[in-house]
Amino acid sequence: MKLKQTLAFGLAAVLGVAACTTAPAASAPAATGAQSAAPTTAASAEARTLTVWLMNGSASDDLIKQLNTEFEAAHPGVTVKYEVQQWNGIVSRLNGALAAPEPPDVVETGNTQTANYAAAGALMDVTDKRADLGGGTSADSTSADEAWLGGLNDSSIWDGKLYAVPFYAGNRIVIYNKDQFTAAGIDPASITSKAALIDAAKKLQTANKSIADYSGLYIPGQNWYALMSFIEDHGGHIAVNEGGTWKGTLDSAEAQAGIQDYVDYFKAGSTGPADNDEANPEQATVMAAGKAGMMIANLWELGYTESKDAAIKGKLAVFAIPSSTAGKKAPVFLGGSNLGIAAGSNNQDLAIDWVKLLTGEKYQKLMIAAGNVPNSKNLAATATSENANLAVAAGAAAAGSFVTPQDPRWASVESGANPLKDMLTKVLTGKASIADAAKAADDEIAARMNVAQ
Amino acid sequence: MPRRLRRIAINALGVATILAFAFPVYWMASTAFKQPGDIQTYVPKFVPFPPTLDNFTTAVTRPYFPDYLRNSLVISISTVLLALVVGLLAAMAIARARFRGRKSFLLLVVVAQMAPFEALLIPMYLVLRQANLLNQIPALILTYFIFTLPFTIWALRGFIAGIPADLEEAAMVDGANRFQAFWHVVLPLLAPGLVATSIFAFITAWNEFLYAYVLMRDTANFTLPVWLATFRTAFGTDWGGTMAASTLFTLPVLVFFLLIQNRMVGGLTAGSVKG
Amino acid sequence: MVEGQAEAGIGPAVATPRRNGAPARGRSAVRTARRLLIYLPLLPSLFAFIVLLGYPVLLAVLISLQKMGLRELVQRTTVWIGLQNYAAILADPTFWAVAVRTLAFTAVNVGLTMLVGTVVALLLGALGRWLRLALSISLVLAWATPALTASVIFQWLFDSKFGVVNWALTSIGIFGDFTNHSWFATGLSTFGVISLLIVWQAVPFVAFSLRAGILSIPTEQYEAARVDGASDRAIFRRITLPSLLPLILILTFLSAIWDFKVFTQIWTVRQGGPAGETVTLAIYAYLKGITGAQYGLASAVAVVMVVLLAFVLIPYIRTMLRTQDDL
Repeated sequence: MKLKQTLAFGLAAVLGVAACTTAPAASAPAATGAQSAAPTTAASAEARTLTVWLMNGSASDDLIKQLNTEFEAAHPGVTVKYEVQQWNGIVSRLNGALAAPEPPDVVETGNTQTANYAAAGALMDVTDKRADLGGGTSADSTSADEAWLGGLNDSSIWDGKLYAVPFYAGNRIVIYNKDQFTAAGIDPASITSKAALIDAAKKLQTANKSIADYSGLYIPGQNWYALMSFIEDHGGHIAVNEGGTWKGTLDSAEAQAGIQDYVDYFKAGSTGPADNDEANPEQATVMAAGKAGMMIANLWELGYTESKDAAIKGKLAVFAIPSSTAGKKAPVFLGGSNLGIAAGSNNQDLAIDWVKLLTGEKYQKLMIAAGNVPNSKNLAATATSENANLAVAAGAAAAGSFVTPQDPRWASVESGANPLKDMLTKVLTGKASIADAAKAADDEIAARMNVAQ
Repeated sequence: MPRRLRRIAINALGVATILAFAFPVYWMASTAFKQPGDIQTYVPKFVPFPPTLDNFTTAVTRPYFPDYLRNSLVISISTVLLALVVGLLAAMAIARARFRGRKSFLLLVVVAQMAPFEALLIPMYLVLRQANLLNQIPALILTYFIFTLPFTIWALRGFIAGIPADLEEAAMVDGANRFQAFWHVVLPLLAPGLVATSIFAFITAWNEFLYAYVLMRDTANFTLPVWLATFRTAFGTDWGGTMAASTLFTLPVLVFFLLIQNRMVGGLTAGSVKG
Repeated sequence: MVEGQAEAGIGPAVATPRRNGAPARGRSAVRTARRLLIYLPLLPSLFAFIVLLGYPVLLAVLISLQKMGLRELVQRTTVWIGLQNYAAILADPTFWAVAVRTLAFTAVNVGLTMLVGTVVALLLGALGRWLRLALSISLVLAWATPALTASVIFQWLFDSKFGVVNWALTSIGIFGDFTNHSWFATGLSTFGVISLLIVWQAVPFVAFSLRAGILSIPTEQYEAARVDGASDRAIFRRITLPSLLPLILILTFLSAIWDFKVFTQIWTVRQGGPAGETVTLAIYAYLKGITGAQYGLASAVAVVMVVLLAFVLIPYIRTMLRTQDDL
């Protein structure tokens, strides 16, 4: 009978599939066997699982595999369950995960989002372990006794306490195609002002007319990180805290000048979409196909671009984003990540050891090799003397860097619909004047940042 | 309008409508077979030539894909079975019996369909946290089950109402008890309705993303919709991979639909048309 | 006799031989057994509704009276603030804009779905066998595609640089040059694409339902009308439509609920953008709640949503209950 058959099939399917659950999942990068037992001293050899969440694109699988092998050898009985998370939607996912009875033990949080979790009490207070974790003896980023990079150190502190350990930093530079530069007769060292950059973009555009869909300077409509550089370059800011209330300041004359810079760069011939960001389409793909002479990107995107097409290997180099003022460099947004230990974790001792390993000298040097700025001032200094590209990036950061407003509520501005992106698209598609679009963005930012805490 | 012209006009409209409904699906499938260089082109390539299976390979060799597939199947099928059993019991009672509170229960079923499920995420999270079910597969089964129960009851009620009660009575006069009457007489007639109703439960569970994403901690507990989401990262979208994954994701639902499509609307139309 | 049965109300009256002299105890036992037979099957669903739906809904209402952010969620503290969340919502001009927008968006989608659905249903009847089959298959294709997938496809179709739509429109010529035209630059245009996407997926269900409904209209009515010389349009208006009315009401009702709550399509396409112009109540609740971690506020929005929807649909429910005498 048809129904009986259907029911039987359904039951069989469920049982059959459930039977497959006993087989180990084939492609997991780390073992998933051991269950976490009761938290006792780390010295015991009972089976424990340490759950680690790192973000997509931060550390290579090989690096982490090597680290986990070393860690597990030093901690018998412990298995590391390592999972890579996507940036899209991470805030909602972390909110749910950190509030659960068994949160992931170690989480990577972007430096603009760390305050959010620290303020909520979701991360473990590690103030007394600062020295042990490699942060030196002072919490003041301007002091010589504070070992971590200033921006990262500040983003890990909330309400006077340390809640995370700096992991790595990064800032943007201009990645350019050496061959196309030579062919067009442009000297990268000469690009030290906005005018020169636009000039170079136009020259490249003319020299490469025959390439379909070519951009001298590829810049999509919604690269708000680049926008922030231009705004800060004129002395403007996204928002300021006036006595406890946040006020958007995109409509100030300085900020508007920065927005105008963005428009000028976009109109210098970029074929990027006006209504999307650097991921749609992926600008690395555009660069790898030879369809862009320059792009504003993070240093790690250089290696990433080369991995997309063998033909572009060895043809890329970098220089700092120039300021609108001739001879100066534009300030750059100091991006980066910190590592936090969940306050509700049952394996805090193991977690601390794991974090110490990844933020220690050995693995930080591996991070440097991958094109990241390490977390400590000393390592950053030595790294740049060995790696020319990194030196350029670090030099740009040293010339001037900034971070997004330090407030837990900033995370909600970045997630979901980003008002800065909307503002840019409105201006670039001609739907609103810079002043009007900036005002609207200001209102939105204020609304999100002045939520009662 | 002369008959012949009318026929041509209707056929033309028919063809246009067919294209309108089928084209997006065709576009998805054909993109899945395209070489990377043929995907982002200014002049669309309507036929993927030369075709490639690379996108499909990328899609199914994603880490944890076997886990996602297993979880989606287990959860969706379990949701369907649970919803059908519980829903059928309730639908039988409502359709066949007159009792106090019947209209209220029916109203409850109708109102329950208005619940905005995305907005119930945090309350559900709290309930599941209390029950220690976070990061457990049954949490998703129970959640999807309650999402689909109201509609299942309503649709099954309609299907049952379309089966004359005399049939059961006749069987009972012939000596069968109530249960036997149900099993041998009603159930076979109800079979198409059961299968048709199950499709709604299935696609609700199969497609759901938000709860799976937030309630499950371990990647190994995720479902296929989360897998679909991994093709669009903060660094770019793999369109070939996305379309290949989407095609595979749609396949079971499509097959299910094709098999039972003509039965699906019965429950709502039974007894509805004033004839 | 039918006594016991009529009381319990099971099934139509069927004569069973009266047992004279049957003890009163026995009869009430039968009555209890019959009542059990009715109420027992209802228990699982009642239990499910109370525990899995009622309790979370109650929690949602309670949370809407609290200030709940990530801190309260993590540290499991409760901060009661009474009706402050509701006051904040009702005082927020964005909320009213979003509410109106949601109602308008729902109305447009439901209207379009029913209209196109009716036309397609009629088309199914008017086409020849092979075209009808092809149309049915294409409708099923659209219907079966998961909403998430469909959203991604439509985004790709309407992509400004590589989308088929821009190329097609430019090629046809009469619409002007659509190269690089951005469909997602304005709220209205984005809503247009989203509406198209929703209607595309919703029409098959309506079309098939209406067609089934049309097929169940007795042909004698049509024949009689034709004998009287009625035109096609008159037949449609006087026979088809009135017969289908209850079905149309149900379909409209269901569509209204579904379209009011729709989330996936809107979120996938532009996350409520550009500049929040495609934010509906469902997205608003999500933005406030899940991404903004203001769970109390989000719950309040959800409560308001349900109240609003119920309010709008009460006349519908009443009409439905009236026109269907078996309900």
